Amino acid sequence: MSAVALLQSALASLPEIVVVIGACALLILGQIVPQGRGHLLVWGSVAIVLAAALATFMLANEVRPAYAGMFIGDRFAAFFKALFYLATILTFLLSRKYAEIEEIESSEYYVLLLFALSGMMIMASATDLLSIYVGLELMALCTYVLTGFLRWQRRSNEAALKYVILGGAATAIFLYGVSLVYGLTGTTRLDQIAAAAAGNPGDPGLLLAVVFIVAGLAFKVGAVPFHMWLPDVYEGAPTTITAFMSVGPKAAGFAVILRVFLNPLVVASDAWIIIGVVAIVTMALGSFVALVQDNFKRLLAYSSIAHAGFAMLGVVAGGADGIASVMLYLLIYTFMNLGIFSTIIMMRNGTFSGEIIEDYKGFAKLHPGLALLMLIYLFSLAGIPPTAGFFAKFYILVALVERGFVTLAVIAVLLSAVAAYFYIRIVMLIYMREPEGPFHPALTPSVRATLAVTAAGTIGIGLFPAWFLKLAQNSVFGG
Amino acid sequence: MAFPLLSLIVFIPAAGAVVLMFLRNDGAVRWTALGVTVLDFLLAIAVLAGFDTTTHEMQFTEMHPWVPALGITYALGVDGISVLFVFLTALFGWICVLASWVAIDRKMKEFMISLLAMQALMLGVFCALDLFLFYVFWEAMLIPMYVIIGVWGGDGRVYAAFKFFLYTLAGSLLFLIGVIVLYIEGGGTFDILALTAQDLPFRVQSWLFFAFLIAFAVKVPMVPVHTWLPDAHVQAPTAGSIILAAVLLKMGAYGFLRFSLPMLPEASVHYSPLMLVLSALAIVYGGLLALAQDDLKKLVAYSSISHMGFVTLGIFALNLRGLEGGILQMFNHGVTTGALFLFVGLIYERTHTRSIAEYGGLMKAAPVYTSFLALFTLSSMALPGTNSFIGELLVLSGGFAANVAVGAVAVLGALLGAAYLLGMYRKVALGPLRLGARSKVYDVNLRELTAILPLAVLVLWVGLYPKPFLGIIDASVNYLLEQVHGGSQ
Repeated sequence: MSAVALLQSALASLPEIVVVIGACALLILGQIVPQGRGHLLVWGSVAIVLAAALATFMLANEVRPAYAGMFIGDRFAAFFKALFYLATILTFLLSRKYAEIEEIESSEYYVLLLFALSGMMIMASATDLLSIYVGLELMALCTYVLTGFLRWQRRSNEAALKYVILGGAATAIFLYGVSLVYGLTGTTRLDQIAAAAAGNPGDPGLLLAVVFIVAGLAFKVGAVPFHMWLPDVYEGAPTTITAFMSVGPKAAGFAVILRVFLNPLVVASDAWIIIGVVAIVTMALGSFVALVQDNFKRLLAYSSIAHAGFAMLGVVAGGADGIASVMLYLLIYTFMNLGIFSTIIMMRNGTFSGEIIEDYKGFAKLHPGLALLMLIYLFSLAGIPPTAGFFAKFYILVALVERGFVTLAVIAVLLSAVAAYFYIRIVMLIYMREPEGPFHPALTPSVRATLAVTAAGTIGIGLFPAWFLKLAQNSVFGG
Repeated sequence: MAFPLLSLIVFIPAAGAVVLMFLRNDGAVRWTALGVTVLDFLLAIAVLAGFDTTTHEMQFTEMHPWVPALGITYALGVDGISVLFVFLTALFGWICVLASWVAIDRKMKEFMISLLAMQALMLGVFCALDLFLFYVFWEAMLIPMYVIIGVWGGDGRVYAAFKFFLYTLAGSLLFLIGVIVLYIEGGGTFDILALTAQDLPFRVQSWLFFAFLIAFAVKVPMVPVHTWLPDAHVQAPTAGSIILAAVLLKMGAYGFLRFSLPMLPEASVHYSPLMLVLSALAIVYGGLLALAQDDLKKLVAYSSISHMGFVTLGIFALNLRGLEGGILQMFNHGVTTGALFLFVGLIYERTHTRSIAEYGGLMKAAPVYTSFLALFTLSSMALPGTNSFIGELLVLSGGFAANVAVGAVAVLGALLGAAYLLGMYRKVALGPLRLGARSKVYDVNLRELTAILPLAVLVLWVGLYPKPFLGIIDASVNYLLEQVHGGSQ
């Protein structure tokens, strides 16, 4: 590789470089920041992400292939990176007070989040199964550690251990699929694989490889039947990390799924049948099992499974609208899901865990403003207009019907009516029951800022979806 | 650009709701809500006054791109059919505020905010000329209504609110798929008028007809998807019951008029016998159930099912008299049943019971109240001289023209109506004085009278001189018939 090509490659991956170098610097600086100056770490981390965002923004005007076809800097990647920045910054803002209450303040927490971010960014930009693997593992290793960050809690340790073992197995399956692909086609580059697949369609070996790769990726987004880890991990992890994992790594997983399966040539194969079945089963399981949860975090875990199923329908639809609909869905999901998580995180104060749904009884009576925010997030998750959650679902349905998958669309809406039940049940508890005691939400300015951003996104995209829709449509790859 | 009168009508209550959020005092909340709804009502009168009754074209139209990439516009407009319901909704806006003046004993501010939000969305439904916009208004109504029933309702409110929410949601979601299919088949537009002009193949029309039917039938409600209604009505606070009866139930029928008939004419004609049978079933079944009720609210709720059966019967008779009667009956049912729920609410505030068995001889304690109650009861049973008589007569003559058997069954239903309504009135108002749980019942006060009077005027006006009302809808109904029968040939 010539020096010029190397420089160009480095330029294309400038945002990743910024984040990695920033994280390394923070790792060192974190050791010399005096006690009680934790906020410096938060602002330092936010500054690193903002610098990366600036770099992404400056580079977004042009498609830049890099590292001999293993990496690409295009709008599709930029869209996902913007989503990751948003999720990461909001997580930083939420973490400070929460970390203090849970007594897990340390610089490593922020450093790990930044490394996870860089992993997700690589996933969004990767165009080779190996670079996808590198990004995937970087992200996954960081989240394993973060899950177990509540070191003296049995639940957290158990979650981390489960996550490592199952995650490792999933990665192995993914890698096995990759090795099969390499054996059959002699390459790991997506475009070359697609060309080879087009050369001999219906090759059973290749289909087997696809099944393995799907399995590995389905694990990351929590699709049935690879969802078993998700509720335990979501429940055990620090809530801030749960919030982060439910949007960031999940979106990264979808970025890879889109890149791998909606390559114009792969679409010709029948892989969509696999994904369609997985999507419906995922939605059904998530929606029905969530009905009987009494732990808020577990409920949101199943809700996130159901949402992943819905988003997968966009992958089934395929085409420019299908891709854009998944992207928009993930963006909107980021706002509303981080919104509802920030209310849970805010409630964690003193001895109040904020994790039991029943604990929210009568919340509206004492805190009408915060209750209204929860109502908005919950109705948005249920997909009721005029919130953004409705538009997200609507656009996926449009993409589906456009491709003639009307039956899938009907099943999807019926299942989302089931899902509406458990969101509305929480609204019922908040508004229609009497409180049992006072609430002490830990409302710091940064938590307020998070609530403001997520609420603005949830309502704003719902009322004025045009700009965001255009953004998603313009960011579709290959177009 | 024309003056955006309809946008103003739709968004004034919404703006009022935002203003209310910043008020602290219950008195200020009440008066602001009243001011906003009265202003809205005046604007609705202005629309009615400026309405040209000689054309079926949409009037007061506004159009702005909203989501251009998907062909979604923000388009408002009214024709002869919708303008009537804009008026009705605006009228009940301030009546509901008055009805809740003292009846709401907690969280007045939140209640008024929900009420105003509800009004904005209902007006939006009747004004929307874009299917997506329509759906947003239609579905968003679930949120405030859920809260109104669930927070301020009776003892079984949570169950009732859930049932209401899930029934309507399940219905609407299939409607959503129908809307999207229509959008794809109709060439990528959500413009209601453009979609109406489309000529869809019969197979597609049939599917869409049933997808729409489920959504609208739940809202109307038609038997057998009516079971949410008695629960919701009984548990809802008075204003909630009034909104449900006067406006919300009209939306299902309005959906038939705005979408099913003009967009799916062949399917509408083809499946009209089914609809007629379901309507007749609702008329008789609702009437029989009403006959057996002891709870005043339940009685009126079941009578609503019966009366809405007349509406759908008229609509799917698919002739001029049937349609005009059906639409007029929608309006009449709104006025009369809205008033009856108001009356039940008034007496409940005084006695805290709705059991008919505990009442008697109310005439002696509250003569003004019982006189007006007599008027609305007679109106509900369609006595000549009242509004419903005109409506039901038209519906029945249209119904007989469409199908004699169905017409005959409907007449039977009308007789049932006389039975349960007169029975109710006799037990409550006549005989020796019995006053439920409380010993003292005062007559209506000025505030309550203000809410009652316009409804009484409308009852007699439509009953004695229906021409202006029929004149408003005439051009639009004729055009609608043209679309239905033109499309099916």
